[in-house]
Amino acid sequence: MSDTPTLSSTLDPLLTFLAYSLSRLESTFYKLPGSAVVTRYVKSSHQNDPGRTILELILVIFAIRTLLQSRTRGDKQGKHFIQFSEKEIDELVDEWTPESLVQPLNDWEQRDLSSVPVTTGPIGPKPKLLSNGKPVINLASFNFAGLAGNEQIKEKAIETLRKYGLGSCGPPGFYGTVDVHLDLERNIAEFLGTEASILYSQGFSTISSVIPAFCKRGDVIVADRSVNFAIQKGIQISRSTIRWYDHNDLKSLEDVLISIEKERKKRKGPLTRRFIITEGIFERDGEMVDLPKLIELKLKYKYRLILDESVSFGAVGRTGRGLTELYNVPAKQIDMLVGSVANGLCSAGGFCAGSSIVTEHQRINGTSFVFSASMPPLLATSASEAISHLRNTPSILAALHENIDTIRSVLDRTEGITVLGHRASPIIHFCLRNTQQHLTVAPPDHEAEERVLQDIVDDGLANGVLITRGKHLRGQEMTDSRPTIRIATTAALSRKDVEKAVGIVKASIARVLAKRR
Amino acid sequence: MFNKKKSLGQLPSMATATSYLSAVHQADSRARGHDISPASTPALSTSSSITSSSEDTVLHESDDNNTGLTYPRTPPTSEQVFTTVHSEFGHCADESYRCVSQHNPDKPVTEHEIEEPPYYILITTYISYLMLIVFGHLRDFFGKCFAKQYFTHLMPYDGYAPLNSDFDSFYTRRLKRRMDDCFSHPVTGVAGRTILVYDRHSEDCNYTQIYPGTKTRALNISSYNYLGFAQARGGCADAVEESIKRYGVSACGSRLEGGSNELHLTAEALVARFVGMEDSLISSMGFATNSTFIPALVGKGSLVISDEFNHASIRVGVRTSGTQVRMFKHNDMQSLESLLREVISQGQPKTHRPWKKILLIVEGLYSMEGSLVNLPHIIELKKKYKFHLFVDEAHSIGALGPLGRGVCDYFDIPPRSVDVLMGTFTKSFGAAGGYIAGPKHLIDALRIRGHSGIYAEAMPPPVLTQIISSMASIMGVTPPVSSKAALTLSPSSSISTLRCPEDDVHPGMAPASAIPSWISLPPALSDGSEARMRIRRLAFNSRYLHAGLKKLGFITYGHPFSPIVPLLIYNPGKMATFARMMRTRQTPIVVVVVAYPATPLVTSRVRFCVSAAHTKDDIDTILQACDELGDILDLKHGHSERWPLEQIMRQSVELVNNI
Ligand SMILES: Cc1ncc(COP(=O)(O)O)c(C=O)c1O
Repeated sequence: MSDTPTLSSTLDPLLTFLAYSLSRLESTFYKLPGSAVVTRYVKSSHQNDPGRTILELILVIFAIRTLLQSRTRGDKQGKHFIQFSEKEIDELVDEWTPESLVQPLNDWEQRDLSSVPVTTGPIGPKPKLLSNGKPVINLASFNFAGLAGNEQIKEKAIETLRKYGLGSCGPPGFYGTVDVHLDLERNIAEFLGTEASILYSQGFSTISSVIPAFCKRGDVIVADRSVNFAIQKGIQISRSTIRWYDHNDLKSLEDVLISIEKERKKRKGPLTRRFIITEGIFERDGEMVDLPKLIELKLKYKYRLILDESVSFGAVGRTGRGLTELYNVPAKQIDMLVGSVANGLCSAGGFCAGSSIVTEHQRINGTSFVFSASMPPLLATSASEAISHLRNTPSILAALHENIDTIRSVLDRTEGITVLGHRASPIIHFCLRNTQQHLTVAPPDHEAEERVLQDIVDDGLANGVLITRGKHLRGQEMTDSRPTIRIATTAALSRKDVEKAVGIVKASIARVLAKRR
Repeated sequence: MFNKKKSLGQLPSMATATSYLSAVHQADSRARGHDISPASTPALSTSSSITSSSEDTVLHESDDNNTGLTYPRTPPTSEQVFTTVHSEFGHCADESYRCVSQHNPDKPVTEHEIEEPPYYILITTYISYLMLIVFGHLRDFFGKCFAKQYFTHLMPYDGYAPLNSDFDSFYTRRLKRRMDDCFSHPVTGVAGRTILVYDRHSEDCNYTQIYPGTKTRALNISSYNYLGFAQARGGCADAVEESIKRYGVSACGSRLEGGSNELHLTAEALVARFVGMEDSLISSMGFATNSTFIPALVGKGSLVISDEFNHASIRVGVRTSGTQVRMFKHNDMQSLESLLREVISQGQPKTHRPWKKILLIVEGLYSMEGSLVNLPHIIELKKKYKFHLFVDEAHSIGALGPLGRGVCDYFDIPPRSVDVLMGTFTKSFGAAGGYIAGPKHLIDALRIRGHSGIYAEAMPPPVLTQIISSMASIMGVTPPVSSKAALTLSPSSSISTLRCPEDDVHPGMAPASAIPSWISLPPALSDGSEARMRIRRLAFNSRYLHAGLKKLGFITYGHPFSPIVPLLIYNPGKMATFARMMRTRQTPIVVVVVAYPATPLVTSRVRFCVSAAHTKDDIDTILQACDELGDILDLKHGHSERWPLEQIMRQSVELVNNI
């Protein structure tokens, strides 16, 4: 109480100053044109409802604040911003030592890089190695239907080259839509039995662009835990709500669908788009999804299905139409069917087939469709030619599946490994069998396993068979899967060659595993 | 019967505004194709239907009408020998129509200069959009009441949410659809100097397009064919044919899993040599080069600083990496420097820990603005602020610099002062795909850690061959010296051992050993003389179009030397009309129009992409067309000095040399 007088005396000049400036402000305000209208409005609204004035004032302040904030955008207004003088900034800049742009390769990465095989001459079932000029049997690259090196396709490609040149020199929106692209889109749609399809110029970029074209923030995606990397990236970019189900376990999928339904009922939220995303045949391990059951679930719970058939298209079914042909399911039931023209038709690029609403939507919203040049015309006509080849010669796929059976039957009887995946899968993964005691110690040492597998690959190569590890970007993939060796089968090899090749692989496995013990 | 063709030649003589307006209306409706019936388009195309694909587009065509598109207006004299097909790569023998693409060190670097249009243009533009939006909403409202069947795909249906909400698709349905006839126009044949477009029209406001099956040859100022390598004939196409016979069509697999071929190594070594870096890698898609390799460069704790107009592929790459991003104002060095000072001094948000590294990503030449990066200034900033620099040369590689080696060549800056040079082959090289070049340790890391190496298909052999042959012809090939070849594929070559020796002089020629022996380029290509001519023709054409449009009174953006020339139109209605009227002139011209969201709302524009394949006559044709349309559509709002068209055409060389 005692220091009140002193306080009021110090405040006095301040108060008079405040009163003075207020009156000045008032008079200038009245000088402004239109001020009378504002005052009248404020006064009358204040009379009617004093609370409203405060509310409106708050609104105005809020509006000004957001306006100011959006201007400066960065952290400047944030509470974490520290004010520095120019000199201090200069010092900080001088002191800052950035890391180098990339960390150098470690030993394992170095070995990985130097063991990548390079072929010379024609690309096909029996290429020559650049390192020693020796021919090898190719069980590594994707040539399922054996179309690589097909003379008719080459002829078609040359014919196209002479009419169209090589590059299309423009994105599809700006005179990069060449008639042969439209032809291929139509051919793919007819082949699969969908209404339409859309062509992307790289297989990998297809699905990672399809997903964000449809799935937006707030939408729900239910996906298999082991989907391939392209799908993972697509999901990441989409920013949708994501729920995972156990790898290729449709029971688990149904549980997830039920629980989402329950949550939605509880929240009473608006209807959002819901998607199930999975692969036809998994790139990781060759498992195959039970398509009829999947479609049943999707219809029951009213989800849209995005199915990645990058491995199965051109390799499964009587004429290579993929899972829909194998299970005799109309492709129209799959909302977005994504496939690889590069793998399945031995050309380049990818496609998404579906209704014309689906494909037209992507022509404006598919980032890698809109912002990238369309594929070279000769690759499109090669793919069209490949489709007519598949249509007309079902024996190709029969030969492919005989080769798959041959390889699986030998590998199944090989000591020390476990063969993964579905019987019909054109890619066959196998991993080391976990019988040794020291390997069961958790957590599994993936890098050590990879070294062993790489030894097998190298040994196979030295003996004339090209196979590869199933490679992954460890640490960037969502889940860390078992290291495997991947065999990509092809219809282009005779039964005898395949038997010889798989015999060599078997011997390599035995040799390497024997050395390890 | 000829009303479709003779139309616009007479327009400038009309004086009153009403006659202008009715002329616009007529031309527009003609262009929209309402009155096109097979009987009224007699001379457009007497040739083939869509399905006959094997017919020779050049030799069996009778659609020329003396427009100078298929055959030159003046036949060559007996001394002039042209090895190219005129419709793909124009014949232009006059040596004065050439110029060198090089920065003049005495002049300051021009940043992004923006000329403002008069206010009434801005206001009418806003009003146009406002009206479009209001009418769009009205039509949506009444449509949903009375014509439900058109809206079912936008409504929840049978327990499914719509794939596309009516709000999200409003712009597409109500604004873009009105000018859909200006986009995604199907074409056929080579995307060279001219291009064959399929005729089409719509009777239901662009919901569907009707193709009568006829085609029209048009002057192509739209494709990214800067050096004119989009050719179905000539040394490069011959090499590609040979490679298809030798290697097949596909690479069958990813680079690290069995899809690597010797051609990949050869092409990568050549690219490294071309751009003057230690090593390079190639990816099968330009977009994916950014979107799958940028995540291997930056990660948590790093910062990306990105120009606000960077390409979508860069944005996708940065977003995939999960790194923090900050943007600076387009090509504005002050904005960049103050941002750098802020982020370095503040460090990471909240924790204020210093950033692990900062990567600045810019483009060499911006595809919508035509502006050139201020590389000299950025290099200076780089010395002071120690950030890493990534330059996307998608549009500038091949197209800029006295030797076509991109922005570094243009500014005479050693390429190795940039950390990472990225570029694509879709543009100047007439191929597809992209590259990243840098120090060897960096490229090796990217090979292993980038997404493309493992998961994406490798580049197919024909594409690689187009790259090798076009690039070798730009560099020129030194005749083989019998002794030790510097760059043969040694038996121990693994995926990354091939590279140019350190002492290699940049920018030099390619040694014969650097290209496969089965590629035999014709002499004019292998000694580099033809490519030098192409580069100099491109430089002349770009400058001439820039300067000509300016002198005609248009507002253009971009660097005067850039082959991308944006001409500002502003009003959305004029933009569509411009494209339609260009397409239906006597010498049809196809143009690219871009609007929101690719550009800011008001600055709709036409974007010309000049090519070395164009002749001086072609640029004249375009200038004349723009001049006429500019008067009709009221587009000339530039403030610089104006010249009449004839003077511009006559004094073109002087104009170009005085920029
Ligand atoms: C700057 C930039 N980067 C990358 C790309 C993508 O290249 P591509 O069309 O070869 O996929 C483009 C193409 O427009 C571009 O402009």
